[in-house]
Amino acid sequence: MMAASTRSQVISLYKMMLKESSRFPSYNYRTYALRRVRDAFRANRDVEDPKAVERLMEEGEQMLALIQRQVSIGKMYEAQRTVVDAP
Amino acid sequence: MAARVLQQCVRSLGRPSLRLCPVNLALRAAVAPAVTVHRPFSFAADSRRTRWLGQSRISSVGLLCRQYGDLPPLTLETIKDRVLYVLKLYDKINPEKVTSHFMKDLGLDSLDQVEIIMAMEDEFGFEIPDAEAEKLMTPEEIVQYIADKKDVYE
Repeated sequence: MMAASTRSQVISLYKMMLKESSRFPSYNYRTYALRRVRDAFRANRDVEDPKAVERLMEEGEQMLALIQRQVSIGKMYEAQRTVVDAP
Repeated sequence: MAARVLQQCVRSLGRPSLRLCPVNLALRAAVAPAVTVHRPFSFAADSRRTRWLGQSRISSVGLLCRQYGDLPPLTLETIKDRVLYVLKLYDKINPEKVTSHFMKDLGLDSLDQVEIIMAMEDEFGFEIPDAEAEKLMTPEEIVQYIADKKDVYE
């Protein structure tokens, strides 16, 4: 399991990434981002080494910033909504 | 004219009829979350029709409330139903065993619990802070927490 001191940080990073990913206007990006975030967190669930955890957390923070930027860009240049897109 | 229709509704609500149709109440309660906007018009039309037929029945969930466009009032029952409904939709939970402890009985981990709490936030429309979210481990606790936050008590 993850280190106890950063456990809540990991949980809140997970929550923020899921929230941001669900804001993508495009169905493809949204489902991919949600799936990728879930898979990445689940795959690294059993990492014990604190340095590795630290590195993964930093990567996660960068990914979160990337998702936020892409969400804003996507909202700026929104394509025609299809049936699949969420309201 | 809308005012007259609404007056008739309020008067029919105030006169509980012995010929209450329990089937209709159940149907309305089940359909409640989906058609809240259409409800004032549908039971207004219904109550006028029933007045003409010489009957009167309570055509709401039994609470005297105005519903000009607001959500139906929350009760512990409806909160519980909605919570269980959201849980049943979640892939990793077996629908029969849905009322037990997430981590100990259903074998979910903290990441799944986060996803469940996020689904609850979406369903009920308000944010649950992380510190309190990680303590909610059974559907009962979730119902209690939401009832606390929304001031629902019986």
